[in-house]
Amino acid sequence: MEIVQVLALGILMGGVYALLASGVTLIFGVLDVVNVAQGSFLVFSALFTWQIWDLFGIEPLLLIPVMALVMGAMGWLIYRGMVVRVTPQGPGMTVLLMFGVALALEGLLNLIFGNKYKSVTPAYFTESLNIGDLVLPLPQLISGVVGALVLVAIYLYLRFSWAGRALRASAQNPDGAALVGISSLKSSALAFAIGAMTAGVGGVLLAIMYPIYPATQYDWIARLLGIVVLGGFGSIPGAVIGAMILGVSEALAAAYVPEWSALFFYGVILLILLFRPNGLMGQRTREDVAA
Amino acid sequence: MSALKRPSILVPLIALVLFILVPIAVPDSQYEQSVILWCFLFAIMASGWNLISGLAGYVSLGHSVYLGIGMYTGGILAKAWGVDSIYLMPLGAIVAGLVALVIGAVVLRTRSHSFVIITIAVLLSFLLLAANLKWLTGGSDGLIVKQPSWAKELGNTPYYYVLLGLLVLTIALCAFVMRSRLGAGLVAIRNDEGKAASIGINTTVYKVTAYTLSALPFGAAGAVWGQYLGFVNPIGAFAILASVYLVLAALMGGRGTLWGPVIGGFLVALFQEFSTRWSGGVSSRVLIMGVILILVVMFMPSGLLPTIKKAVERRRTRGSAVKFIDQASIAASTSVVDTSAIAARDQGKAHQGDTILEVRNLVKTFGGVTAVDNVSMTVQRGTITGLIGPNGSGKTTLFNCMTGTYQPTSGEVLLSGEDITRAKIWTRAHDGLGRTFQITRLFKSMTVLDNLVAPLERTSAAEMVAGRYAGDEVDRAREILAFMGLQEFEKQNAAALSFGQQKLVELAQVLMLRPSIILLDEPASGINPTLIDKLATVIRRLNEAGTTVLIVEHNIPLVLSLCDHIHVLAEGKILTQGTPTEIRNDPNVIEAYLGPDHLLEAPHA
Amino acid sequence: MPDIVLTMTGVEAGYGGGLVLQGMALELERGTITCIVGPNGAGKSTVLRVISGLVSAASGQVTLGDMQLNGKSPAQILKSGVAQVPQNRALFDSMSVRENVMMGGYLIRRDRKLLDERLAMVADLIPLVEDRAHDKAGNLSGGQRRMVEIGRSLMLDPSLILMDEPSLGLDPKSVATVAGLIRQITSTGRTVLLVEQNVRLGMNLATHGVVMEQGQVRLTGDAAGIADNPEIASMYLGKVGN
Repeated sequence: MEIVQVLALGILMGGVYALLASGVTLIFGVLDVVNVAQGSFLVFSALFTWQIWDLFGIEPLLLIPVMALVMGAMGWLIYRGMVVRVTPQGPGMTVLLMFGVALALEGLLNLIFGNKYKSVTPAYFTESLNIGDLVLPLPQLISGVVGALVLVAIYLYLRFSWAGRALRASAQNPDGAALVGISSLKSSALAFAIGAMTAGVGGVLLAIMYPIYPATQYDWIARLLGIVVLGGFGSIPGAVIGAMILGVSEALAAAYVPEWSALFFYGVILLILLFRPNGLMGQRTREDVAA
Repeated sequence: MSALKRPSILVPLIALVLFILVPIAVPDSQYEQSVILWCFLFAIMASGWNLISGLAGYVSLGHSVYLGIGMYTGGILAKAWGVDSIYLMPLGAIVAGLVALVIGAVVLRTRSHSFVIITIAVLLSFLLLAANLKWLTGGSDGLIVKQPSWAKELGNTPYYYVLLGLLVLTIALCAFVMRSRLGAGLVAIRNDEGKAASIGINTTVYKVTAYTLSALPFGAAGAVWGQYLGFVNPIGAFAILASVYLVLAALMGGRGTLWGPVIGGFLVALFQEFSTRWSGGVSSRVLIMGVILILVVMFMPSGLLPTIKKAVERRRTRGSAVKFIDQASIAASTSVVDTSAIAARDQGKAHQGDTILEVRNLVKTFGGVTAVDNVSMTVQRGTITGLIGPNGSGKTTLFNCMTGTYQPTSGEVLLSGEDITRAKIWTRAHDGLGRTFQITRLFKSMTVLDNLVAPLERTSAAEMVAGRYAGDEVDRAREILAFMGLQEFEKQNAAALSFGQQKLVELAQVLMLRPSIILLDEPASGINPTLIDKLATVIRRLNEAGTTVLIVEHNIPLVLSLCDHIHVLAEGKILTQGTPTEIRNDPNVIEAYLGPDHLLEAPHA
Repeated sequence: MPDIVLTMTGVEAGYGGGLVLQGMALELERGTITCIVGPNGAGKSTVLRVISGLVSAASGQVTLGDMQLNGKSPAQILKSGVAQVPQNRALFDSMSVRENVMMGGYLIRRDRKLLDERLAMVADLIPLVEDRAHDKAGNLSGGQRRMVEIGRSLMLDPSLILMDEPSLGLDPKSVATVAGLIRQITSTGRTVLLVEQNVRLGMNLATHGVVMEQGQVRLTGDAAGIADNPEIASMYLGKVGN
């Protein structure tokens, strides 16, 4: 059943997308800022994963906690050092700042790694799991599963840890949060760190699935933006749904209508934005001109 | 950015002459010309972008889409008609403008902050359209644009002069907009869009106009740029980097100013060129530009020109005493002034005594709470009417339904018999309904005079393109200021005034609309008793000149002394209405304010 | 010697639109319920905001016991034992009732035992917290939300609780319940300072009353005395025969 195969691949990819998009949507939920540098964080993590694998032959999956930590720290530093100074000027300027970060990172990566494709090819790179008629390539399978697991872990953390609760409280009701002693600065920094961390994990997963080079960050800006818009700015469940839709539609289109796949998705995004500016499941209510 | 009377045109003129001379005077300058061409392009784009994003404050991060549209228009038509794309520049502009008009009309209806994201999405969508519509655009491979028909020895020089000309035109367009009422309205929108709407600015029309105009230079430049490059392909035409760089250019130079984007455009183009040549390649360029963008956004977000200007001004005013603005002195001046400046527009019509504002069966609920519960009331023309009630009585909500800030859940609001329940806020202003705000909302970046000439009595194209000081607005504004005793504050920045002065200025602003009724939102809150007396005098004079006034207030003594008729709201319903004496002695009113008896249950603790 | 919990002297404060408080003075005895009333614009809410640190006093002093409050950040003041129940929107609507109350103990979150003790204390005082522990706070009625807000404010065992119009928007029955809770709180030695629009209700609930006008105190005294004072009516509505 070819369609099942296609769907399965789409869902696995959707898992990875969901992880990455959750990072973007989390940052948005707390900070009202779209992290357009997520793509560059992703590529950063992927390329360094490749480098370590290339130098030391370490199994890439083992690098997940390492890259998660490194990117998380980087995200925290970027927030405390740069973003916090710019957010008072409004979302437009903050997005610009993140573009600057994305460009600087891309340039840096270009200098270090050159503009050539890099591929991580661990032993299982060409293997697959066969379930009946389904052929699930191992890299995709592992990525999808790991992506989903990390996403669940993040969700649980947000739900049941104090830091996570504080973060959700800050996002929902900044004044109410301040009332009980929650520092919005710390919450925002944490959101940024987690957001970057998702890119850290995603980068490792990406590295074992596809070849990467620095400029691929632009593909990701578009994809992640689309998912977050589709799912609604600030809603993690919405981002998951959006990610699944993207994953499946990309898989379907790649199988049946290769050229138009991306266009269809972005066309849908644009239409949704035009008529529901807060996304499908958006939580934000913005003032209208009438206010 | 206050308007300059006669800007120093000398420096730009000299620069223009120099640029004209370069190809003529400097032999073999093809390389230099090509670098300057990029400078021109970025200056053109940054200036165009400035119209919507600098003036109006709607930051677009995908504006190079219109360059791409121009490139494809030029490329496709040059091929189809066999002409040099230089002749297609006007068409490029028109096509880009039309696309912008359509997109703008849909996207700019609301103030959704996802505007930034939408602009990126539009860019990406066109990228994909270009890559997929093979029959039209040549798909991902793009189109080859044939060489121009002029002699090879001329090289790039024709492009040079064409783009120089386009730059001059673009700057002229920007200068024109900035001096016009359109420009003033856009700045008002950037300062406070809701307030701009309440003084009669049709914010949708203004935003869409600015957005459309901003696309024209892009389209024109794009039409010729494709031929200059020799080919048009999706990635080159719709590159997000171009959008980011042009925004950087405008930011660096100073968005919202006339010359800032031009200077910034030159700087960005030069940075790109030098970083490619001297640091060995594309990677470093991207890194350097990224770092520059970060530094500019973090440390110099207002840009070079405004920062320099501020530093110069600070040096100039150092040492001169700060003029002490005294609240009491304003209160003292009572000028005998011709009240025609403040006369209501329908003074003279024999309407006295009829209903000017009516609310019928108005209900407003928020979630599960009914703030206004089936309220019906009228305001008679020519009166000063008060609307009072304790906290939570719904009077503010009712007030906001009248002004259009809230849409009622059900019921109607009628102005002189016409149903305005669903009318846009600026339409209400055009129909003669003016309002002030409890916490004043003046346009902080403008002077008092600029604030006063901003209101519009109608939406008209002719007025939009007129200079912002054209017509009799300035004279009327000065008369109204004199009437208030504020004439010396004409050139003051609105943000520098005290709260009480701001209240008077805001009232003066509303008067420019020649409203038949003014709704005052807690005018006495936050000002001292002397100023309250002054305010009461002003209101009485206004009323004598024919303006109906509706006041929502907590200061009951003021209301009792000022109003002809008073409505009292409690718990979302009309409690009673009557003359001040009736209200003052009505035990129900006293109860409503002091607290109902039936809440007494337990004995005193 | 009366046990004074809070003193305010000569406080001037505003929001950049002019001074709202123009020489405010206040003294709160331990275990009392003091209610501030006065016409709108008098500065009642501003007094609460100055005490809790949301607004800084341009001049004057606020002391809690022997500790100076003015100049401290809201978080520090919270730690010092001053909790606040604002006029509206204090809860996290998509979190459960129990979670909301727990969030009140954010600053003691590391001490699990203490946190559980406090939670139990609050649940004891307010059965609603236990009965509807897992319901989303957004689904509660106005009166129930107010109870949860008060419960949350007790998690840090504050010595002083500030309440901004606790009866606003509540039906009479809920008002009575809230009033009962407030009385219960002070019976254990806590002090309550509240602002009320409704003079009768305020003086009925409170032990002491403060009448403000234009940023200053006009009258203070026992709640009973304030309630019966004929000057109040003229203060709100102007002199008879104006």
